[in-house]
Amino acid sequence: MSDAFIAGADMIAFGRYPDRTYYELGAEATLLALDDCGLSIKDVGAVYASSCFNAMSMLGQKVLKEIGQTGVPCINVSNACASGATAVREAAMAVRSGMVDVALAVGSEKNPRGMLGGAPAFGPPVEGLFGSESMPAVFAEAGMVHANLYGTTLEQFAQVAVKNHHHATMNPKAAYRKETPLEEVLASEMIAWPLTKLMCSANVDGAAAVIIVSEKKAREMGMGRMVRIRGSVLTSDPYESRNPEMFDASSVTRLAAAQAYEMAGLGPEDLDLVELHDCFATAEILHYENLQLCGPGEAGRLIDSGATALGGRIPVNVSGGLLSKGHPIGATGVANIVEIVEHLRGEAGARQVEGAKIGLAHVLGFGAASGVHILEKA
Amino acid sequence: MVQAAHSAKPGHKAVRVGTDGSAWVEGYRCHACGASFPEATMACRACASRTRPAPFRASTRGALYTWSVVHRSYPGIAVPFISAIVDLDDGLSLKGTLRGVAPEGLASGMRVRLVMDDAGGAKDSEGTAYVGFHFEAAGEQA
Repeated sequence: MSDAFIAGADMIAFGRYPDRTYYELGAEATLLALDDCGLSIKDVGAVYASSCFNAMSMLGQKVLKEIGQTGVPCINVSNACASGATAVREAAMAVRSGMVDVALAVGSEKNPRGMLGGAPAFGPPVEGLFGSESMPAVFAEAGMVHANLYGTTLEQFAQVAVKNHHHATMNPKAAYRKETPLEEVLASEMIAWPLTKLMCSANVDGAAAVIIVSEKKAREMGMGRMVRIRGSVLTSDPYESRNPEMFDASSVTRLAAAQAYEMAGLGPEDLDLVELHDCFATAEILHYENLQLCGPGEAGRLIDSGATALGGRIPVNVSGGLLSKGHPIGATGVANIVEIVEHLRGEAGARQVEGAKIGLAHVLGFGAASGVHILEKA
Repeated sequence: MVQAAHSAKPGHKAVRVGTDGSAWVEGYRCHACGASFPEATMACRACASRTRPAPFRASTRGALYTWSVVHRSYPGIAVPFISAIVDLDDGLSLKGTLRGVAPEGLASGMRVRLVMDDAGGAKDSEGTAYVGFHFEAAGEQA
């Protein structure tokens, strides 16, 4: 199979769009990504559209009804919070296989309001009766495993929120662009120990899109701003004894990371920046280790060292992450790839990771799915 | 074990109610690899053995693995409460509410008991009571 390249990448500013539909948001992101590389929707040979809450609504076709019904195949994908990465991987495979020279991956979402979590499938409402199904509690429990094993502190988890909110102040497309000092993070409402409100992702609307092209097409267009897809991996959760009673965020991510490094022929030491799935502050700590940015038990010290802040050894979530840029579920996995692309092109403005050549984007879907993409400046 | 009324029904996928009204938690174990699960599956999800995992009555003793103290939940749910993941002594892991323990007293490995209960008094639309369970400190050494 040949290589695939990201030619166009863009997103709308994440936030609240009460007066617009989710497919208008997706169509706008698509036009931005097309304009970013000078292509037209008429050049696109296949559409991969990602949404979680509108999974059965034919998002791809609705986007084309906004911007041009070209008759190409639309594949609508849904994979919880990994939906966006699923669409990107499918689009990349369509290009690598030679089926099309240009593919679109678009993710769009208008999140429901309030706290996200499971609905009872059986018997009385389970919440409070049989523990908690809420997402904050689920990721708090996962974080407490790390705290119990390694002594990770509330302050270390909270520093993830301090860092990512700080990064977001430099991202004009982040939903929240406000510094949150440690005292403010710790003093905000306790949701599920050890997670305060400012350690939970921002539940907002958004859309993002990438245009993926073949090597032949990339050479025609000029390689100047192209980004090569070195690794593109999707995994489901392998067996682990407590899963699914306890959500296992780690095994599925470790598997995806190992496969992506192998596919890319690269290792964690080669990365210049990472966008990882910080749906909650605890999750970022776990994923430092799951993505091999540090060894087992070292994640607390890694955040303390400043290595994952902009200017550090391996900046993580310089976009502001899900905590502050926001987490419109179906768009998230496309948006973190857009972020990596901007850095590899040297177009990330105030938050630019200087000299970035290689970046990794990770997402994690509850249920479970993990997508990992490793991208390189072409 | 709490004796549930004859008319009671399971309020959780892993709860079983006997004809004599007794209630217990049921797990399923794979003959081939020994892995256990809180629900029946068509084959073993751990090793893919096609022999159906067989039901067993779960131990009522176990150890706390991890937890969260939930301070904000969905509307109408009383907080705070402790959401706990417990490893029962026979290998089955369950999520449940841990009651009667102060959050500052929690520790991984703490011994707990599985206690059958009336699912907070919940009843179905026809007034039939549910049977549930929760965890309590076992007051025994690990």
